Amino acid sequence: MLTREENEQVTRVSAGTPMGEALRRYWLPALIRHELPEPDCTPVRLRMLGEDLVAFRDTNGEIGVLDEQCPHRLASLWLGRNEEAGLRCVYHGWKFDVHGNCVEQMNEPVNFKDKIRVKSYPAVEMGDVIWVYMGPADKKPPLPNFEYTRVPETHRGVTKVIQECNWLQALEGGIDSSHAPILHRQLKEGVGAEGIQPSTPFVRGGAPTLEVDVTDYGYRYTGIRPLGEDEQYVRGYHFIMPFTQLRPQQIGRAGAPNREMVAGHHWVPMDDHNVMVWNFHYSFGSESMSEKERTMEGTANGWPNVDPVTFRAVGNIRNDWLINREVQRTETFTGITGINAQDRAVQESMGTIVDRSREHLGPADSAVIAMRKLVMEAARNVAEGEDPRGSRSTTYYTARAIEKVFDAERPWREVLLPEMYPEDVPTAG
Amino acid sequence: MLSRQDNELITRTGPGTPMGEYLRRYWVPALLTRELPEPDCPPVRVKIMSEELVAFRDSNGSVGLVDNYCPHRRASLFFGRNEECGIRCVYHGWKFDINGDCVDMPSEPAESNFKDKVKIKAYPARDWGGFIWAYMGPAELMPELPEVGYAFVPESHRRVSRRLQENNFVQGIEGGIDSSHISYLHFGLPPVRRDDPANKTLSNRDGAPHFTVKTTDYGFVYGANREAEDDKYYWRLTPFMLPFFTIIPGGTGNPDERTYSGHGWVPSDDENCWMFTYSWNASRSLREDEGHSASFLELEPRTMRSVVNKDNDYGIDREVQRTQTFTGIKDISVQDASIQESMGPICDRTREHLGTSDAPIIAMRRIFLKACRDIMEGEEPEVPRSGSTFRVRSVAEVLDKSVTFDETTERVPVGA
Repeated sequence: MLTREENEQVTRVSAGTPMGEALRRYWLPALIRHELPEPDCTPVRLRMLGEDLVAFRDTNGEIGVLDEQCPHRLASLWLGRNEEAGLRCVYHGWKFDVHGNCVEQMNEPVNFKDKIRVKSYPAVEMGDVIWVYMGPADKKPPLPNFEYTRVPETHRGVTKVIQECNWLQALEGGIDSSHAPILHRQLKEGVGAEGIQPSTPFVRGGAPTLEVDVTDYGYRYTGIRPLGEDEQYVRGYHFIMPFTQLRPQQIGRAGAPNREMVAGHHWVPMDDHNVMVWNFHYSFGSESMSEKERTMEGTANGWPNVDPVTFRAVGNIRNDWLINREVQRTETFTGITGINAQDRAVQESMGTIVDRSREHLGPADSAVIAMRKLVMEAARNVAEGEDPRGSRSTTYYTARAIEKVFDAERPWREVLLPEMYPEDVPTAG
Repeated sequence: MLSRQDNELITRTGPGTPMGEYLRRYWVPALLTRELPEPDCPPVRVKIMSEELVAFRDSNGSVGLVDNYCPHRRASLFFGRNEECGIRCVYHGWKFDINGDCVDMPSEPAESNFKDKVKIKAYPARDWGGFIWAYMGPAELMPELPEVGYAFVPESHRRVSRRLQENNFVQGIEGGIDSSHISYLHFGLPPVRRDDPANKTLSNRDGAPHFTVKTTDYGFVYGANREAEDDKYYWRLTPFMLPFFTIIPGGTGNPDERTYSGHGWVPSDDENCWMFTYSWNASRSLREDEGHSASFLELEPRTMRSVVNKDNDYGIDREVQRTQTFTGIKDISVQDASIQESMGPICDRTREHLGTSDAPIIAMRRIFLKACRDIMEGEEPEVPRSGSTFRVRSVAEVLDKSVTFDETTERVPVGA
């Protein structure tokens, strides 16, 4: 439970709010490469942390992220012309480069372009993802060097989708391990488009015990499920500040072979009431992924169940997520098609900003509680002039999420940690 | 740039607001004459300055403009029966004439005099120049109807229209009195470059003209001269007629035989406005395709927005933008709407950066702010009361360099 005041503080993300200022101290994923495919391509509207922005790739291939509104008379630069190394407003022809400098003022007989700037943010491309940094220039963190952006293009898939609720409840849904075999369960083997079969250790295992080790980048956490008398099923995850989760995807479901794969999400606030949910998965082994896997085709977060231009999901809060009550009775726990659509439905159903003064958390929510502590600590740190946790970290660069079934007697740290950190294991505490 | 307070002041026009009170001292276009084509035709809903009204033409052909809501139980009179010199609410049959008097109350006993005590809000309305004009201010301050050029020509000589734009009316005016944007927003490719000698057309040749503004009794006139051949200037003068009208400078030629066009931006509410458009020729009938392009837009029947609007990104075609036109948006009038609506419903003028080319905009805001302050201080703002003040037109002429700006402005009043 949070007090009403704490809930306000941790959910509001505009400039000047404590949480908004903390979030502005990290690189934020903003665009998928296909949105800005080539020099001088069509500009893209972008809403991040309550700010309306426009992104473009200039003639030299450099990416600019600017205030959407032209500083002259505030017309939208999205209508603009992307040409000759700058974005030009179509109203009076003022033109801006990727750094926000006004480089031309076509309509003014006596130029004052040297006095004009438009707000601009640095951007960087890593793999298929374009990241933006919206904080103070001297506090720019090390590059967001996630493993999925380093593997070959053939080994990863990245999509994103707009979810109509506050970022924090979406993040909470992601790092909440205990809901998965319930919300996403199939009632019978092999029914429904996607879901977790009754035969998997996920469902067969008992209710999980959650353990959390806080690290410099956030924390690692495990869901430990007893499996009969002698075995246990342990899923090891990472939470990377301020809104990233890595989760294991190695044990094959429905008889499929095991894979060397990790999946994850970023939950990037668009404003207080909307979040862009990023979905990625990748192969860290030698095996590449099929085209269908890479586009997540057929899943609720893949194309075409999500429009690749607007990033709106076909099933959404306005059509009751296309719930089918007959399917709910006979095939799946929810009657909603697609794991990610099921997540969106429950998270959006809480209202755009869930009232955490009315909730009742249990031990199965300990990862949620730990995450809240860290993000609230980050907001406090920034307000007090300190660097927030994770903003200087590079230890997550090689972190992987790992799941295993093993002897009930063996401690999970001994079994999982060497694989969760193929290089150095960061100290906990 | 404006302070937040001043931005609020000039953009809010509901009853009781200073700007709203100022605008209510003028006759304003409310709808088109052709929307009420004959006596006892169906009534039309119209929202002006945040007031929801119903317009109807009674059996005598007179226009009534009354509150949308019946004073009895607030049902909408839009659903009413327009019959026998009045509009009758279909709920309980109360009937009102164009003056707002309740002339029948069949739901009350015959001996009751209740109907004599009930009135509905009604505003004077006049057919004039193809528009139905309304006067929504204090009766004792009613000015004469403005003697606009298009009111003195036969119907065949003019073309009028209105359409909804989804932004505050001040943004509409600012787009209208901002001449420097036409060299960009409405142009083809390549874009205008000030110093490029390849630019041949008159307004293309100099994309960054100097603007001069002169205050007049009808508002102000502003003009710019661009270099023309033979040591002459190409002059374009636009009159701004209070409280929100313009006449666009057209092509050169005999000023008496030219076709003129202009707009007026009437607040519907604080976040929407009606763009009224008029085109006329004093000397001849207009051709079927003649007039401002805004009058040829296809509109959504109920909202009266253009069918090409912000919900479909104004039909922007990025390939056309790359290769043919500055915007990639088809129609001049849609180009204007796209840019004005893209500023948000009420532009945040605390964040803008005006240059010398924005001088007319600054002049307009000064007049509005002064009028608002007068009203707040209980003083009567300056309002042109004589209709003949509005007998003006725009100027587009190539003149000898010896002609001064002041001399060119004498060509704005008609007959001069």
